Amino acid sequence: MTWTARPYYLPVGNEERVFKAAFGQGMSVMLKGPTGCGKTRFVEAMAFDLGRPLITVSCHDDISTADLVGRFLLRGGDTEWVDGPLTRAVRGGAICYLDEVVEARQDTTVVIHPLADHRRQLPIDRLGVTLDAAPGFCLVVSYNPGYQSVLKDLKDSTRQRMIAIEFGFPPADVEEKILSHEAGIDQETTARLVRLGHAIRRAQAPGLREVASTRVLIAAGQLVAAGLPVRDAARAAIAGPLTDDPLITEGLIEMIDAYLAG
Amino acid sequence: MRERVARAGPESASRLSRFQLLASAIAGRALDVAAALPGEASWTDGSTLFMAASPDASAADQVAALAVQASLIAAGSLEADIARRLRGRPALARRYLAIEGHRALASGEDLLPRPARSLIDRDAAARAGSPAASLALALGREAIPGPPPGFGVIRPHRLLASADRGRAAAAGPEGPLQPRRRQAESDRDPGDGTGDDGPVLKFFASSVGGQGALGRLLARMVRLGRDPTGGPVGAGASAKVRAALGPGGTGVRMAGAAGMLTETVTDRRHGMTYPEWDVYRERYRLNWCTVVEADPPPGDGASLAVPDADALRRPLARLGMGLDRCRRQFVGDDIDIDATVEARIDTLAGVSPDQAVYVDTLRRRRDLAVLVLLDISGSAAEPGSGGKSVHEQQRAAAAMLAAALHGLGDRVALYAFYSQGRSAVHFVRVKGFGDDLNALAMRRLGGLVPGAYTRLGAAIRHGAAMLEDRGGTSRRLLVVLSDGLAYDYGYERPYGEADSRHALAEARHRGTGCLCLSVGAGADPAALRRVFGTAAHASVAGPGQLGRVIGPLFRAALGSAELRRKGG
Repeated sequence: MTWTARPYYLPVGNEERVFKAAFGQGMSVMLKGPTGCGKTRFVEAMAFDLGRPLITVSCHDDISTADLVGRFLLRGGDTEWVDGPLTRAVRGGAICYLDEVVEARQDTTVVIHPLADHRRQLPIDRLGVTLDAAPGFCLVVSYNPGYQSVLKDLKDSTRQRMIAIEFGFPPADVEEKILSHEAGIDQETTARLVRLGHAIRRAQAPGLREVASTRVLIAAGQLVAAGLPVRDAARAAIAGPLTDDPLITEGLIEMIDAYLAG
Repeated sequence: MRERVARAGPESASRLSRFQLLASAIAGRALDVAAALPGEASWTDGSTLFMAASPDASAADQVAALAVQASLIAAGSLEADIARRLRGRPALARRYLAIEGHRALASGEDLLPRPARSLIDRDAAARAGSPAASLALALGREAIPGPPPGFGVIRPHRLLASADRGRAAAAGPEGPLQPRRRQAESDRDPGDGTGDDGPVLKFFASSVGGQGALGRLLARMVRLGRDPTGGPVGAGASAKVRAALGPGGTGVRMAGAAGMLTETVTDRRHGMTYPEWDVYRERYRLNWCTVVEADPPPGDGASLAVPDADALRRPLARLGMGLDRCRRQFVGDDIDIDATVEARIDTLAGVSPDQAVYVDTLRRRRDLAVLVLLDISGSAAEPGSGGKSVHEQQRAAAAMLAAALHGLGDRVALYAFYSQGRSAVHFVRVKGFGDDLNALAMRRLGGLVPGAYTRLGAAIRHGAAMLEDRGGTSRRLLVVLSDGLAYDYGYERPYGEADSRHALAEARHRGTGCLCLSVGAGADPAALRRVFGTAAHASVAGPGQLGRVIGPLFRAALGSAELRRKGG
């Protein structure tokens, strides 16, 4: 994937410098942070800045090594090798982004080991070759330690081959800028939505697994930009996606009314 | 909770509970919201916020009143040292609130909804920089305008009483040798002292040492006399069982240097022995505990209905699947040579070939054995949430789990356990791995009566061993349903907690996943963490909420065991 304009990303700390330094040294990068805090957008912006194509793979627990590396297909009477996304990135010197990498099975993720360390190689057993990564290749993985740390974890041998950049939700002023840029709504509404988001992040309810991310706030803002009243937008974009629990939904609606009314 | 029910009808309680999330967001910690008595102003005891019930109050007024009280909590305005200074001085409390209320609102202004922000008097807020400064101003002679009516009131004595209750709950049972009290007793006014023989036992416990011989003897003497339940076997069983266990009839499990246990002899009817971790000496006590398996007497217990386990079935459905190499798939990782050759022959013969010529790795096979261990020690008889005892709730959860897993085709067993000393850890079979989940199993489950104690470590070790012996699958999971109160003769809290943690780690080390659930016991998360350590564990208010947590927990437990098994 390539872009004509830089994808909008507003840095919070030194993450851009860290990423570019790691890229320059041919190191692999691990992005940690809650869902909807801007990890994917960050990688897109970095790919643009560095002038590399970006190949994104959303990992799930049935993804296999062949899904990443490639496989033989039958075409008429012949077999034909088809590169997987990882192999394409290695050959073409692209940034390969494995989104939510812990969702993938552990036996799948070991395939990235020789790529992630100093060797920068991808062995392809089925072809009997070992590819050297082209210049400009960079492996980036992301995961959400919040809800996944109990469920699943990256092997230490995988983790230690990477440098880590931690993401959190941006402070209120930065988040307001992001929201007004992404959704294009007035400042008052932006400020209220951000305030509501910060309050939800503080609230404690056992059934609320994930809090209101920057992404859901933007979604609410976009609905407002499309002409929806702000409370309806927040109910649809924030309360609904966060929980199925009727009690917590009521609580969220009460918060939405308190913060967005008037 | 009880207080809330007494104060407000169910209708208004449910209406106000909608505000809980907002209140906790402003206060920065979990907070209940309930209705104040008619005519009362809003106030809080630090854990519940009582809102004034005025029929003509607008939604904005309600939000503002709630924000003031929650902000006071967030700003530390209601800490015990302040409350003590305010106790018995309502006029001072009002003056304090008039200043501190504005300061608290202003300090958390970024988080407040607009109706609450409009309450802030910035001049008043700027006068004090801390609760102590506000108190100093309030103690002074200068005239201070009273707080706006929406601020409500501060009730120092209720704050202090609630803080005392909180401390008592956090400390758990009053002493290491005390059995858990019934709720009603421990809810007595904290001013009354602890009552009973608590202090006496505490004296012996501390002066003789909980694990000293004299301490244990005293504990046992007191315990045998006061055991209120009798238990299914009776208090004398410990000695009897030990006598019946001759050296020849005893199975032995040894602890090796790496903590790996190897089995030698087994004779389940007569008991299996297991080591126990002695946290004080930091080594195992070999052959220390004896576990006896038994079928429950064909009692008169009412049969339970097989519960509706739909809520659990969906999250569990995907988990037990093993990966299989499946041939003749339309897509896949590799080419299936046999299918390809056949397809080629078909093509050459002019027949339309079968396109399914790949091998794929799919989750098809059920590969999971689960042992559900139900804690039926005396503490489970305590009243739990929703008007049912902890035992009833745990039993319902166990039945739901067993029904869901059984329905999915997993191998599942359900055993109950209790203990009376180290030589009598009893396993009661409700459903073995080979048994059907039928009316007999449900009658056995219905007939279980809680009693006696919890030697959790031995139960976990035996459960893990059973899974390995009889589970018959490569993925194994031990589910412990317990309030997390590990306690038995010579098995005091810290010792029992350490031993339980060790037993869980041993099981995980051998590739058996462990998952601990506390249902309806309102267990303290910190205490659960002490007992269950890094094993997947959760506390839910009732069996109905299992569906929400069970998927992630099962995945966590199986995932960590899988890592071990593959030598991750």
